Amino acid sequence: MTNVFEQSGLIEPVARLMEEFSRLPGIGPKTASRLVFFLLRAPDEQAHALAEALASLKDNVRFCSRCFNITVTDPCMICSNPSRDQARICVVEEPLDVLAIERTSTWRGVYHVLHGRIAPLEGMNREDIRFDELVDRVRTEQIDEVLLATNPNLEGEATSFHLHRALAPLGVKVTRLARGLPTGGDLEWADPSTLGSALEGRREL
Amino acid sequence: MHVTSLSLRDFRTYERLDLALEPGTTLFYGPNAAGKTTILEALFYLATTRSPRAGADRELVRWDAQGDIGTPPFARLLCEVKRSDGKVRLEVVVQRRADDEGQLTGASLKTVRIDRRAVRALDLVGNLRVVLFTPADLALVTGAPAERRRYLDVTLSQLNGRYVRTLSHYQKVVQQRNSLLRAWRERRRPLRGADDELAFWDRELTLSGAYVLHERLAAVAELNTLIGPIFCQVSAGDTPLIAAYQSTVAGLDGLPDERAIEAAFLANLARIRDDEIGRGQTLIGPHRDDLLLSMGSISVGTYGSRGQQRSATLALKLGEAELMRARAGDAPVLLLDDLLSELDAERRSHLLAALTQPGQQTLVTATGMEDFDAAFLAQAKKIRVENGRLYPS
Repeated sequence: MTNVFEQSGLIEPVARLMEEFSRLPGIGPKTASRLVFFLLRAPDEQAHALAEALASLKDNVRFCSRCFNITVTDPCMICSNPSRDQARICVVEEPLDVLAIERTSTWRGVYHVLHGRIAPLEGMNREDIRFDELVDRVRTEQIDEVLLATNPNLEGEATSFHLHRALAPLGVKVTRLARGLPTGGDLEWADPSTLGSALEGRREL
Repeated sequence: MHVTSLSLRDFRTYERLDLALEPGTTLFYGPNAAGKTTILEALFYLATTRSPRAGADRELVRWDAQGDIGTPPFARLLCEVKRSDGKVRLEVVVQRRADDEGQLTGASLKTVRIDRRAVRALDLVGNLRVVLFTPADLALVTGAPAERRRYLDVTLSQLNGRYVRTLSHYQKVVQQRNSLLRAWRERRRPLRGADDELAFWDRELTLSGAYVLHERLAAVAELNTLIGPIFCQVSAGDTPLIAAYQSTVAGLDGLPDERAIEAAFLANLARIRDDEIGRGQTLIGPHRDDLLLSMGSISVGTYGSRGQQRSATLALKLGEAELMRARAGDAPVLLLDDLLSELDAERRSHLLAALTQPGQQTLVTATGMEDFDAAFLAQAKKIRVENGRLYPS
């Protein structure tokens, strides 16, 4: 098989890698050739380490069958950790959101990763994300609380709204991440919509 | 309020412009395509983050602007505004986007700063309030409903930050809701469960839509007290101009409160659900409404004479300025683009009278000085514009 790089007179192994690189997001033909010629000059170990890391990514990383976070073991480290509160689920849109919440060291429960959000404009609906899997989980496991931690934008709110409607009849407590001001911030500098939701979400002391 | 300085870099025809401005009237005169309108356009852009001319933001960047090595070219607009509550510095940078190969794409990136602090573009609106008068305004009376919605939106957005944010939210909801309706129309989704799936979008649509409708209805009621007398004066007649907000949401008579509007909107939606699915579109709401302009019982847009249409246009724009002055307690900056040549002596003198109010800042463009009387020229600061250069006289 020939590709554009081979047609332009490059030898097959070089052309093949360029073709692969240029399929990655944010990498055009010029960047692809820069990467390939960098690797040609680099020590053998470096190229082999890259190849090995790539292979291991697909061979060893999978989704946890319970929470759908990325993991090496199934169930994942968090789902199988006895010191985590298995009856409280924090629902997030993407695996990166789990990292963000873990960095707070505040959440002692477990997670559920939706892998998306409801956004009709992008063709994303309830059946395109891990929505029904969460409903099943709440139905079959002993769950005390579901914390909806989808993003505070229109699509995240839509996702939360539908999750709430699906979960409420199951008698589980459903909570939503609060919206408000950044810690260490200054009221004077807060943008009006954030300050507005902080006012609406005020609480009694 | 008034603008004390404007600087442009690589904006349209200007490689560089640094202009100090004063309250009162400034006249920019010179041949066509010299760069007069661009000055007004820059101020309109700093006030609304939109250009009054059609076209993409990238067209604002001067065509042969040079970026630093490795960065795409950009246009920079900066102005300082003196308001009754202090000074504020507004800045917008529009940078063209390059792809991985360094080739410029059609996209651009907008950075907005208030007093050197980065903010969202929406939060810029309202810091500088302007009313732009151009010959194209006639479309306000004779053109499509979208022109009149835009008129209300540009006015209210500059007066009320919550209006800008709510309108932007409303527009996003309409888009999402439309693509859901389209999926049903094209049978890409099962219709079963449609009510359930629409529940969230209906709620967001009516919640934000009710706010927009409420603000528009209140503004139109207030505008009517202003444009009626102005129109009589300008047209030298005694039939007042009446603006009536005509909503696609039925049942908004009187001036209902937000809750009542929301309820009416929801009830309307339930009634037309099948129709909306059949057409694959959100059929009612502030994005479909119109403003009817009439004299007595006749529509000015359809049956008015050219002269009456011009008078109505002028009354709407002067009414907009009055509304801003009344609500904000601070006069907006008036931008008059090549307008006076279009008006007869009678209408021109009404317009010029509005400019002489104390504290009013007005920027006027014209090809020559022959349209102005001696009294106007005596009190105006005059700047000749030629090939993108300014020559104060």
